[in-house]
Amino acid sequence: MNKPDDILIRLRGITKTYERGGESLCILESLDLDVPRGSFAALMGPSGSGKSTLLNLIAGLDKPTAGTIDIGGERIDKLSEARLAKFRASSVGFIFQSYNLLPVLTAAENVELPLLLAPVAASERRRRAQTALRVVGLEDRMDHFPRQLSGGQEQRVAIARAIVNDPLLLVADEPTGDLDRKSADEILTLLETLNEKLGKTIIMVTHDPAAAARAGVIHHLDKGRLSVEAHGEVHA
Amino acid sequence: MTLASLAARNLLRNKVRTSLTLLGVAVAVVTFLLLRTVVAAWTGGAEFAAKDRLVTRHKVTFVMPLPKRYIEDIRAMPGVKASTYCNWFGGKDPKHEREFFGQFACDDGYFDVMSEQQVSPEELAAYKADRTGAIIGESLAHVMGWKVGEVVNLETGIYPADTPWTFTIRGTYRATSRNVDKSSFFFHWDYLNQALPEARRDTIGWTISRVDDPARTAEIGVAIDRAFDDKDTQTLSQDEHTFQASFLAGFSAVLHAFDAISLAILLIMTLILGNTIAMGVRERTQEFATMRAIGFMPAHLRWFVVGEAGVLGLFGGALGVAIAFPLIQGMLGRFLEENMGNIFPVFRLPFGATVAALGLAVALGVAAALLPARTAARVKVTDALRKLA
Repeated sequence: MNKPDDILIRLRGITKTYERGGESLCILESLDLDVPRGSFAALMGPSGSGKSTLLNLIAGLDKPTAGTIDIGGERIDKLSEARLAKFRASSVGFIFQSYNLLPVLTAAENVELPLLLAPVAASERRRRAQTALRVVGLEDRMDHFPRQLSGGQEQRVAIARAIVNDPLLLVADEPTGDLDRKSADEILTLLETLNEKLGKTIIMVTHDPAAAARAGVIHHLDKGRLSVEAHGEVHA
Repeated sequence: MTLASLAARNLLRNKVRTSLTLLGVAVAVVTFLLLRTVVAAWTGGAEFAAKDRLVTRHKVTFVMPLPKRYIEDIRAMPGVKASTYCNWFGGKDPKHEREFFGQFACDDGYFDVMSEQQVSPEELAAYKADRTGAIIGESLAHVMGWKVGEVVNLETGIYPADTPWTFTIRGTYRATSRNVDKSSFFFHWDYLNQALPEARRDTIGWTISRVDDPARTAEIGVAIDRAFDDKDTQTLSQDEHTFQASFLAGFSAVLHAFDAISLAILLIMTLILGNTIAMGVRERTQEFATMRAIGFMPAHLRWFVVGEAGVLGLFGGALGVAIAFPLIQGMLGRFLEENMGNIFPVFRLPFGATVAALGLAVALGVAAALLPARTAARVKVTDALRKLA
């Protein structure tokens, strides 16, 4: 059992419903989840099961209809939009399936992007971007534009962008969904390294069992309910 | 990289579209400046009118004549230094049917009162000594190819004659400032008067008086009009600026049309910018969502969009001015001043209109971006990212 201080993400009684054409659609229902600090968790489930919704709630992109979300001791479900934006800028690194790099910026400038919101000098921004790109093995592609990179390289730049401000948490939504097997393996190995060597807490949504197997723990979401699988054993 | 350079970098995203938009704004600015230059050139005479000159005409309209004897009464008025008078001749040279220029039959004191139109003493003396003599503007001489000593025939519907009116050019006048007309044709009022039938003689179109104190111009004008209040023909005296403005009022519909077209051009410019910005915002919905996800605020996105539009407007406006300046100042202006100096004595880009065009290009760019900026700021992050996935 984890000590209370070891829990980075604590969700209690999370319910999320959407109004669609006057009808209430319940995506998540009374869901509890604890994610220990420094863990690598995978979130699996069929399409429409609410994986991305849950990830958005944890990342502070959305608010629950009911329940509480505590990230690193801060109740983010209570935060205003402006405070949530600051929370995301300082505490969350995002990795998207389609990389979402800005095509008009070079790799280094894309990595610098989150630092524009922090009081960091231009030279320091540049230095940190270089460091982040070195971590993902793309130091020699700093001045390349996204169109000049392969899919795997683009995703590594996106990972560098996610870690450049040293966030508490990395959220990855299908990070290998658009990649071939070899590139996907490289990205998963990189995520493992970030988790094991740098102690980053990672939550990854994936459809791919092979990708999920690289995580320390796999959470299954189905019909708004969570079950956890650790070492091949599923617990409701 | 800075937030500003990030906004600027987005302008280079679609170079063809940005170039076409800049060109569109530039063309709108050139057209706007051309129209404002036409209006400024047309009304410029009134702007630069002498403050110590009074024009007296028939109270009803300047088309109706005044009795010639009025000039003596006006000259005798306290405060009037000198007075002259003219009639509109309304003729044309049969050899140059398409050339329009003003012809005026004036008394010999005309060039004393209108001191900004200068004739050399020798040419003035030669003119005064010749009953059929004429003085013409330098631009008119250039356009018509007339030389001093040349005999010119004019025809007019106002004063029909069995044979054309014949004049001998005795000199040219120079203008002391750019805004003074350099394309008029002056000849002796006596020559016209003596050739007319008895019933049409001894009438004048208007008088021009120079007063000794510019501050009393209005007061002296009122005194002149009061002096003729009890006569059969009443007068209306106006300072030169008001007179010219009232003359221009006859063309107010044209001037208003120019204003309306200018407004339409500004609207087109706004739509061009608005369309480009709206397309750019629509294409970048997912990028905006990504930026919002990593911590950018709605205000950041608003400023990106508005800033881009402002920079587009500024560059488009600057390009327009860069095109308009040589076009109007160098090419078109010079041509019109030399060939249509009677209508456009000064055809130069007005500084105020140039600054206004630049300012409007930026302001309208910003205005055009307000709605797209609002759309960008209100992007629903989770929905936009889901569409991307």
